[in-house]
Amino acid sequence: MDHTSDPQAVRFTFDASRVDLAREFRDKTDGHYSADLHRLLMRMRWGPTAGRYVLVVEEPGRLWKLGQLPQDRGQKVRVFDIEFTSLANAEWHVFKLRWQELAGAPLVMD
Amino acid sequence: MQIETNRFLGYPDRLSLPAGERISFHLSSSDDQAAVSIVRMRCADPDPRGPGLRYEVMNSAIDGIQPCRHQPIRPGSAVIVDDRGALAPGRQFSLGCYIWPTRLTPESQTIMSRFSAKDNAGYALAVSRDKGLTFTACSAAGAPVEFSLDIPLAERNWYWVAASFDEPSGQVTLAQVRLADGIMPETRVERRFEQKGAWRLDSLGPFVIAARATGHGGEMAHHFDGKIDSPRVAGQLFDQTALRAVEPAPRTGSTNADVLAFWDFSIGIDTLEVTDLSASRLNGRLHQLPRRAVTGVNWSGAVHDWRLSPKEYGAIHFHTDDLYDCGWDPDFSLDIPEDWRSGVYALRLRRPQEAGSSGAELTAESFVPFFVTPAPGRKRAKLVVIASTATYLAYANSALRLYHVHFQGLMEHLLQLTYDDIYLQEHPELGQSTYDSHIDQSGRCYSSWLRPILNIRPRANPFNLCTDTHFLDWLEEKGIEYDLITDIELDREGVRSVSPYRVVCTPSHPEYYSVGMMNALMAYQNQGGRHLSLGANGFYWRCAFHPAAPAALEVRRGMAGTRTWESQPGEVHLAGTGEPAALWRHSGFAPQKLVGAGFSAMINDRPGYFMRTPESSNPRVGFIVDGIEQGERIGDFGVRLGGAVGIEIDRFDLELGSPPHSIVVATSYGLGAGALPTPEEFRTMVHGLDGEHNALVRADMVFFETPNGGAVFTTGSISYMLSLSVGGYENNVSHMTKNVLTRFLSDEPFTMPD
Repeated sequence: MDHTSDPQAVRFTFDASRVDLAREFRDKTDGHYSADLHRLLMRMRWGPTAGRYVLVVEEPGRLWKLGQLPQDRGQKVRVFDIEFTSLANAEWHVFKLRWQELAGAPLVMD
Repeated sequence: MQIETNRFLGYPDRLSLPAGERISFHLSSSDDQAAVSIVRMRCADPDPRGPGLRYEVMNSAIDGIQPCRHQPIRPGSAVIVDDRGALAPGRQFSLGCYIWPTRLTPESQTIMSRFSAKDNAGYALAVSRDKGLTFTACSAAGAPVEFSLDIPLAERNWYWVAASFDEPSGQVTLAQVRLADGIMPETRVERRFEQKGAWRLDSLGPFVIAARATGHGGEMAHHFDGKIDSPRVAGQLFDQTALRAVEPAPRTGSTNADVLAFWDFSIGIDTLEVTDLSASRLNGRLHQLPRRAVTGVNWSGAVHDWRLSPKEYGAIHFHTDDLYDCGWDPDFSLDIPEDWRSGVYALRLRRPQEAGSSGAELTAESFVPFFVTPAPGRKRAKLVVIASTATYLAYANSALRLYHVHFQGLMEHLLQLTYDDIYLQEHPELGQSTYDSHIDQSGRCYSSWLRPILNIRPRANPFNLCTDTHFLDWLEEKGIEYDLITDIELDREGVRSVSPYRVVCTPSHPEYYSVGMMNALMAYQNQGGRHLSLGANGFYWRCAFHPAAPAALEVRRGMAGTRTWESQPGEVHLAGTGEPAALWRHSGFAPQKLVGAGFSAMINDRPGYFMRTPESSNPRVGFIVDGIEQGERIGDFGVRLGGAVGIEIDRFDLELGSPPHSIVVATSYGLGAGALPTPEEFRTMVHGLDGEHNALVRADMVFFETPNGGAVFTTGSISYMLSLSVGGYENNVSHMTKNVLTRFLSDEPFTMPD
């Protein structure tokens, strides 16, 4: 195993009190990010492909749906009835989903 | 509205061909009819922020409604031996081999067989995760009878496995020997079974290694994932030790009449043939291109090139999901008219009722791409674009977005799946790219065009071909005459394929280049040709089309370079040609030597832009920067990404071979922490390797003159082409490109400085 293919090769400790990082991401989803936000995003983006949130392109450059990768080859990608017309909104939506997975509770901002 | 892009699937028999020659199309669909036409692509990228999908519909002899039918894909490799009854067993026989299983499953995987599932006749030696070694023989009543050791196997360990069968006594002996490795001693399990009765052991079909036949139609099942070494069949009862030691021809003048077959996979590694060393001469042939040039059970580690010690490479690695040729019957052919312009073409398939629909009403549309080169003897343009088909193949049916742990972290954004990606996820039988792994997690070495490829079509994920067509679109927009050939011609015809042209353009990402392609371009440059290198991470991997399977590109992943998998130790040399298939940099021919810049870094957060260097004031490059000011941001814009310095970038390096008289005309700015160097760019991991800290993480635009009046201009960035169309094609990237191309197309020779 090596880092490139090991879904467990991530160590960053999530801190649910760092709502400031959520705020930074919401305001600038496409980077460049602060070092701490970059670490958090890597924590969120690493891991097994099964269950990974993705975007499904409905219309190139215009319309996307939320999707989720399955466990094994040959299985269907789950496509949610949640649409986005901007990539920034899609990134923010998934950020909140991942925050909730890590924190065990929804992201609450001021 | 979402357009269904996989209602019709297909592939051509030839990926590129000269105008005037014939191409055949192999199609499959659940529909029984399709409206077909041929299109010539101008831009294959449908993103509305760019030129959009643009093509010309040609008039061709196949236009109209054509019949369709479903044709299946049957992946899985094997060796097929047409033994014509020679291996239909007598009353006693034994068989054995070494195996290195890589994906043990609850289901049976076949090592050797002469079996017909349809007729329930024959025998098979197989393994499964829990039962270990299994021997199956069919009774006269037509029922398979299974004998199992019930000793689990472990993946990626070498075993000797053997079975013997004595029909008169009904005795079956199975042996499973785990070979010593490291601190683990050899462990042997041997067991005898007895079941009297009448047997039906002649399947009347071929002998198959690594699979078993399901009938007489060539269909196979129960494929094996892993290596097999030195399989043999004997016409007598052998105990496992004797069978393991047996030699078909121990010395000159001596043959062992008890050995019916003994296949030595170390012979003909660069072929699709399998040699039987026994007196029977039961040579076999490979099916669906399993991987040769892999280390065998006796690999010493002393050699890494199979050509130096083929006896240590006596294994073949089979995969359940190997796929070279779908083998579909052709549906129709087209004689490409001699007067068609060269270019990127595609067979367009629609539902008959939507044959003439505009985009708004269209529900289904598929394309089968191919490339038309100029007809022999036709007048050539001064400029030729060389489509990077080897690279397109290396990435063909890429599952990077589906299977790879690292890919989302690398991309720095949410991954976007097209419906082609979703189709690929649901249909792994299409076979994935050389970036992906087989189902046993070993890397894919081969990618063939004799299968449907979803991502070198219009509307594919915007990379490689889609990006390259941004330049074709720009040429059309500017009214610049050009021809198009592919790197297949460059590979097979060498410098002769480009000699007629004043200028060659290699597009956004010519990453995979064979020795023939590299030498052809170097020779072209040295004979006075002008090379416009409009991409990055080019000329990077040493690879080859397999000489015996010419529709397949073969790669290996050496011990450096940006890789999603790594070759097993000792398996870096290509089976087809024997070349070391690592980076060209590690064959002493770094990209810098060819085009002045070579792979530096990947950028996936935000792109950057170029600005002129002080050296760009040199009159030798005045024609390039004419109209562009010092301090002006070049390409601070671009379709989709927003910058001309993006995706992957190349840098100048004298030590790696950039010609000493080169001028770095412009260099990149604006790169950040998401700009990360390729692994061969550092020898020791330290902090500060990213684009915020590391001055080697940059894109350089490089110019140099070559002998005999030639020149090279390199942009050093994949995303450069995506800036060409911005602002109605009037921008400084477009302007600079036009500057260079105009001068390169002129008759005036360049002069190398003293």
